[in-house]
Formats: sequence, structure tokens, C-alpha cells
Amino acid sequence: MNVVSRRYWFLSLSAVLVIVGAIAVATPPRLNLGIDFTSGTSFDLAFGFDVETEDVRAALNAAGHDDAIIQKAGDGEFFVRTRDLGQTGIDEIKRQVNERIGTDYRIPSVTSVGSSVAANTVRNAIIAVVVAAGFVMLYVMYAFRNIPKSYRYAIAAIVALGHDVFIVLGLFAILGQVIDAEVNAIFVVGVLTVIGYSVHDTIVIFDRIRENVALAPSRPFATSVNISINESIARSISTSLTTAMTILAMLLFGGESLRDFLIVLLSGVIIGTYSSLFLAAQLLVAWDNGDYKRLKFWGGRGSASADRA
Amino acid sequence: MRRQARGLIFIGIILVVSIVFIAIPTIDIDIFGRSFERGDDDTLLGLTLGLDLQGGTHLVYQASKDTGEAPTIDEMEVVRRTINNRVNQFGLSEPTVQLLGNPPDRVLIQIPGLSGASVSVGFAGNAVTDDELEGFFQSDLGHPEAAIRSDVDDSGAELLIVNLDELRGQRLDSVGNVLEESEADQIRAKLGDRFPATLRVIYSAPSGTSTPELAEPTVGGIGELLDQIGRNDALIAEVGTRSFSISIPNPIDDSVDAEGEVTEGEATRLRKLLNQQFGPPLIFALSGQINAYTVGGGVQEAKQLIGETAQLEFRERTCGPFLDPGDGTDWPPDGLGLDEWLLERCSNPNYFIETVLPLTGANLEDAFAGTQPGIARPVVNIVFDGEGADEFFEVTDRIARTRGLLAIYLDGEELVAPSARQGISGGRAFIQGPDFTSERTRTIAIQLKSGALPVDLTLTQERNVDATLGDDTLRKSVIAGAIGLGLVLAYMIIYYRGPGVVAALALILYASILLAVFKMVPVTLTLSGIAALILTIGTAVDANVLISERTKEELRAGRTLFAAINEGFARAWPSIRDSNVATLITSVVLFWFGDRLGTSVMQGFALTLGIGTLVSMFTAFFASRVISRTLASTPLGGRLKLWVPVGDVGAERAARPEQAPQAGD
Repeated sequence: MNVVSRRYWFLSLSAVLVIVGAIAVATPPRLNLGIDFTSGTSFDLAFGFDVETEDVRAALNAAGHDDAIIQKAGDGEFFVRTRDLGQTGIDEIKRQVNERIGTDYRIPSVTSVGSSVAANTVRNAIIAVVVAAGFVMLYVMYAFRNIPKSYRYAIAAIVALGHDVFIVLGLFAILGQVIDAEVNAIFVVGVLTVIGYSVHDTIVIFDRIRENVALAPSRPFATSVNISINESIARSISTSLTTAMTILAMLLFGGESLRDFLIVLLSGVIIGTYSSLFLAAQLLVAWDNGDYKRLKFWGGRGSASADRA
Repeated sequence: MRRQARGLIFIGIILVVSIVFIAIPTIDIDIFGRSFERGDDDTLLGLTLGLDLQGGTHLVYQASKDTGEAPTIDEMEVVRRTINNRVNQFGLSEPTVQLLGNPPDRVLIQIPGLSGASVSVGFAGNAVTDDELEGFFQSDLGHPEAAIRSDVDDSGAELLIVNLDELRGQRLDSVGNVLEESEADQIRAKLGDRFPATLRVIYSAPSGTSTPELAEPTVGGIGELLDQIGRNDALIAEVGTRSFSISIPNPIDDSVDAEGEVTEGEATRLRKLLNQQFGPPLIFALSGQINAYTVGGGVQEAKQLIGETAQLEFRERTCGPFLDPGDGTDWPPDGLGLDEWLLERCSNPNYFIETVLPLTGANLEDAFAGTQPGIARPVVNIVFDGEGADEFFEVTDRIARTRGLLAIYLDGEELVAPSARQGISGGRAFIQGPDFTSERTRTIAIQLKSGALPVDLTLTQERNVDATLGDDTLRKSVIAGAIGLGLVLAYMIIYYRGPGVVAALALILYASILLAVFKMVPVTLTLSGIAALILTIGTAVDANVLISERTKEELRAGRTLFAAINEGFARAWPSIRDSNVATLITSVVLFWFGDRLGTSVMQGFALTLGIGTLVSMFTAFFASRVISRTLASTPLGGRLKLWVPVGDVGAERAARPEQAPQAGD
């Protein structure tokens, strides 16, 4: 399969996905941020009987929380989010619910995050992602130090990584509206994992490329890359499939709690596999070909030399 | 083959050891006099579970001083120790108190299993089952949310612990009179009624020579004796010839007071009467009494206690003169009658004088609620340290002689002001009060122990997970994990065949080692930790996939099976190593940042990811190779078709059959 010669299509596809993601994140409604980032209190309400959302809303309004976010999670089960409550806040809400709806309910879980913590979390999350990416880049440079122009590999890996993160963010911005997926601290954990996984995958491909180049140094780089990709596809698919299988099992049979996190991981695995084969490798070829200098990206096909592969 | 034998034996040992570690719920051994304890009877496989799987409360407090300075490390250490003391009374298993930040400025408190409130009941002879008690709470006591678990106290007796959402406190009217007893006390009474103690009385068959004064034991006759001791609410049943079962709610036990005098309990008195009337019974056994009943606080109480900056102060209270001082002043003053004066002299601040004693909270080594023989109500036990004990003796000696009081103030408010009948030496004493309930004694004890905190604490983060939600989540995660693992194993074996079987075996080894490591370290397993585990399964499989693919290529290139396997490993290893190192870097970054993001969620995930990656590297590098070679040297190695993924015809054809096995391979 001649992947390399079609690289412009793949690169364009990636660019489009990233732009869509960026737009989704930038334009309101933006990312559905959870309380870890915005501060506030979120809790579950589990009634022993079916309750209408309006009734819950009425109770919360009476307790002074007309700005509360209420989601129905099942028969008689609700997920509520308000600004930061103290203990008296919860008691007041309980009182209103007792009066208006009934006393046969439980509150299985309550989470509160103060505003100072939330502000820190945003900052630290971004720093964490940047630091992780930076260290990974250093490691790639070290691992591939024997190859001429090893920095290209590092940069290609980072671009693939950034591409993955942006697409996942964009996906979550959309999912935030569709299934109320929330961006919380665990989301950051998921993103960092996706970074690790994406790089893991990319390195395996690069390793192949390095080996093929070493085997036949006079062979055109693009050809070596093509061969490497073809050799690696079976392995990449196997690995992604097995990882995706385990994540899917958790998603389908595990509890609700990890749903958003697992979606991050699943999309990360799929996109990460795609980006290793069809993005990172292509970037290397494009660079080697001097495509950047000629900026033939956006135009039609490249010069004859690019078609050699 | 010999090399493989060694490798196989090594793997076998590791596998067996891992399984042993996992299978035994708790491991408790003494090495060179230092005990080594791991594991937990109550959790799945004895693993340490995080709060999201076990249920509990996670609190983060920010420490600050009103001077504006940052708290010092020493002060934070005091905070940690004090809070540890305070919360140790709560929850159903070890709470953890950690300092966060560098330098530490926050406190993380995790109290597993802490729900709204809890009640612990111990029945003598374990007469009541979990389900019975749970059912009683759910239907009769108005607590449909009650969830029970059993534990064992220090003496080995079974304790049933009931988790509830809330327990109503005492209701007082405006003057302070009790309108309604606290729910905990009400429950205690109801428990005694519902689960009465049972007395088995069995008389041996009458011998030929029976003493004429002794009557034949009958239900009616025993009933009369029960009336005599004042228990006409007891139920008697004849369960066999001369064999009776008597059901007594809340029997009063024998008690010994401070002077050593014994007050007989109801059982003893009944026995004496039985002996008189019918002769000594062959069997007289009382069981099922409630011999332990404690009330646990809930999240709110925990938070209240943690946040308090308590100041403990001991004062000697000299009450108004007991007798007429005879100096011409009015006595009793203010025209009080003698009865009134006796009450007021010690309780009205107008009439007493207090001096602050050199005793402080620092001198108080321990304070705990309990019971004392001879005293009907619960008491508060206190223990002073060396110099505290001396001071305590002097004070109690003085107030015994002058009929004064030792007033204990907490944050400027009087907590309790007991008198002493004599000087108490040794630093150990107990405080009793006519209105002491089990709840009150517990609260007083906690407040006495809480001491003073050098910083102010503000709650910045809180997460409560219900225990049943935790159990539910755990169960579902385990099922999901098992399904996922099963799918992966199936895929590997079906698609990769020979190498797939190797991968499957290696994966099983990997899972065993990982679980054993988690239990031994121990690593707290959280929900995100489980997710990390699942990811590492993917990575472990990936390593095997890489090796299998390489082996296939080598076979395609025309090598023998053994050579192909060796080359496959050699070629695949750099990829495995590099990619795993990248994952390790990510987990290190995650771990380091976990602290800053204020949640232990991230750290648990990072630790699990890191350990999983390391172990998978070990099994890939070592186990897979040994298993591969072993399988290859069996007759299976001759059937090359098995070593190639399904459908890869090119490799099948090109692979050369194995020559005679080379010596020294």
C-alpha cells in the first residue's frame, strides 16, 4: 500500500480535524468544565421512586440555587452541580427536597472544590501536559541520537502528539453538548495517558524506519518509510485492537464513574494509532523531501521527486 | 533445554509465590522481631482499596496562620499527628492523614468507610447474624439505608458495624431538659428488646434420691422466680425435658464498684433462686447479651472535630464554703436555702473560685470512652503522662479534701467538672456523670484528646463516596476487567496461535505478579488505577505482538524456528524498551504533578501505570522468551504453521522446518 505518496491527503485530513477541534473548543459553548476547574459542589441524588427533573429544580430554586445544573441520570437519579456549598448549603437543599419531594432518597456522593484549588488546577494541568511533552521530546531525541537529524523525529513526534491532544479536546467539546461529558482532573490524567500512548506508538514506527534506513541507506527515504509503514500496520492494528478491547469492556461493563475518562482513552488510542502511521511518518517524509520549503502542501501534488515513493 | 529448564523453574517459582501472596487475605509475619503485615480481610483479595472503591471521605484542608506566615514543617507535623488522633476514632478502617505540598501547607485526610453515622454492636456468643441485624435496622428502626459489615475486636469477639446516613441527636427544650433521647440511645434500648439475651437452663434427670425440699422445675415455677427478681417481661419456654430457654431483654450484669463490693446481676440472682427452689441446674448459660455498643460519628462530626482549634484547660474549682464559715457573713449567701446552696455552690460562677492548673492538654496522653464495672452509665477514661500524673494526684487529693472540683474547659467552655473522692495516683482515672450516654462520653473523650492545633484549617476540597457505591463500582470494574482480559487472550490465541499462546501465558503471569506487588507494597487501588492496569495490559500485549510479528518475519525470511524466535526478540527489544520508557516518563510526570493537582487520583494512576509498565517489561523480556523457547522445543515446534498468524501464507511457506535441536541452545 503506497501510503507515502498519498500523504497530502492524510496531512490535510489531520489539519482539518485539528481545526475543527480548535473551533469547537474556542467557540461557545466551549468545553464543559467540571468543578475541578470551576470550583463548586457536585452531588448525586438517588431517589427510591421516579422523580421529575422539574421537581428537583423547584427544590433547588427554593434553596436559593437557580443556577444549579441538574441532569437526570436514570429513574429517580440525578446529578446536580452548584456553586461551592458549605455544609449548611447541603442541609438547606436537603430540607427543601424533604419538604417538596419526599424523604426516601440518598446522597451517595458529594464532591466540593474550593475556588482557589480550581484556579490552581487549570494552571497545573497545562503545565503538566507541557512538561510531559517536553520530556518525551528529549527522550526521543536521545533514543534516536545516532540518526542524522534526529531532532526531526522528536518534532514529528511532538506534532503528532499535539494533534492527538487537540482532536481529543475538540471531541470533548462536542461531546460536552451531546452527552454532557465533563472535563475534570481525571480528564487531564486521560490526556497525559494519551500522550504516553501516542508516543509509544510513534516510537515503534520510527524504530522500524530507523532499521529500514540502516539496512539500505541508499534507498530513498520515502521508500523506506513506506516499507516500514506496511510492515507495521499489522502490529499497530493488533495492539490498538487489544487495548481498545479492554477499554471497551470497561466502558460497557464497568460503572458509570469512569465513562468520560474511558472515552478519552479510547479516542486517544484510535487517534494515536492513526497519527503514528499516517501523520508522524508523513511529516518525516515531507520534511526530508523539502516539501515545507516548497509549501506544496496546500496545492496539488508535489514535484516528481515526491512521487518517487 | 537446560537453560530453558532453569528459566521455567524461575518463572514457576515467581508464579506460585505471587499466587500465594494473592490468595492469602492477610499476611502477618515476624522478621527479626519486626512484624510485617499486609492485606486486609475485608477487601477483594486483601488489596488496599482507594476511597472510590471502598467508599469513604476525602478531605483536603488548607493550613494558614493568622500572622500571615506560612506554617512551619514542625507545626504541620503537629497538625498531622493531632488530626490523626482525632480521626482515628472514626471510620471503619485506618484513616490516613497526609501532608501535601512542598513545603507542606495542606492536609489530606482520607477516612474509608465513613458514612453518615455508624453503630457497632457486639453480641455475646455471636448470637445475632448480619442479616438479622441489618433487617432490623432497615425495617424496624427506620433506616432503609442501613448497610452492615462485620469486624473483629481486639479480643477476637465479633462486632457488627452498621452504616447509617444519620443519627438524630438528643432533643432538648429551651431549658435544657431532655425531650427525646438521642437516637443512638433509643436504638440501644430497642436492640435490647428485639434481641434479648437467652438463658439456657437444663436440669439433669432426677436421681433416685431426690431431696424432698426441692421442687420439680416447671415453666410456671421459673416464671414466679423471674417475677421475684423483677423480670416479668422475660419469656420462658420449655424446650425439652427439664430444659428451658429464657429470653430476657437487656439483662443487668453483675457489677463491682470501686470498693470491691459486688452487686449481683439478674442472672446471678435468678441462679441463686433456682438453686434454692429446684437445686443447681446442670447447665446455666447466658448468651446474646449486648456486650459492646459504640456509636460512630459521621462526616459532619469528623469535619467539625478536625476544624476545631481546641484549647484544653484544667482548673481547680474551689466551691463556696460547705459549712458556715462563721465569720459573720451571710451563709448561705443571697438568701438561698440549704438545698439550693448545695447545688449552686459548685455550679454558679458567682459562688466559686477557679485557679488554672499547670496541667494542659499536652499532659493528657489518652482519653477514651468505656465502661467501668459497678457503674451503670458509660464513663470517660483519662490517662496522664508522668508529670501530669503527679500534678493530677495533688489536685485530686486537694479537691477530695476540700470538696472542690476539677473543672475541664475546652475553648473556654466548661466541658465537664468532676469531683474526686480521694487523691488518684498513677495518672489513670475515669470520669462518670449521671447524664453520660455512650455518645456523650465518646464526644468528650475525642474533645479531650484533640488538644490544640497551631494553625487554622480551611476545607478546600471534599469528596464523599458512599460505601455501597464503592462496592458496586468495584464489582463492575472487576467484571469488566476480566471480560477485557478474556477478550484479549482469546484474540491473541486465535490470531497469533503459537506466539499467541506464549503471550497469553505471559499475560497471566503478568497479572499475577502485578496483583501480588500491589498487595505487598501496598499500592492503593483506585478506580483510575484500574484503568491504568487495563492500559498496561494493552502495553504488555503490545510487547508480545511486536515479538510475534518479528518472529513471523524471521520465519518468512527462511530461518529455523529457534533462530527466528531469538532474532525476533533481539529485534523487537529496542522498540519495546523505548516505547515503555516513554510511558514511564509520562507516569513520573503524572506522579509528580498529582500532588499539585490536589487529588490523589492522579498519583494512584501514575503509580499503577509505572509499576504495570515495569512489570510488563520484565515479563516481555524474560518470561515470554523462556516460554517461547520451551514451547518451540516441544513437538509443537515442528508444526511451523502454528507459529505464524492466521492467514499469513507467505510466512508459512517460507519457514524452514526445524533441524535437530542444537545442543547448548
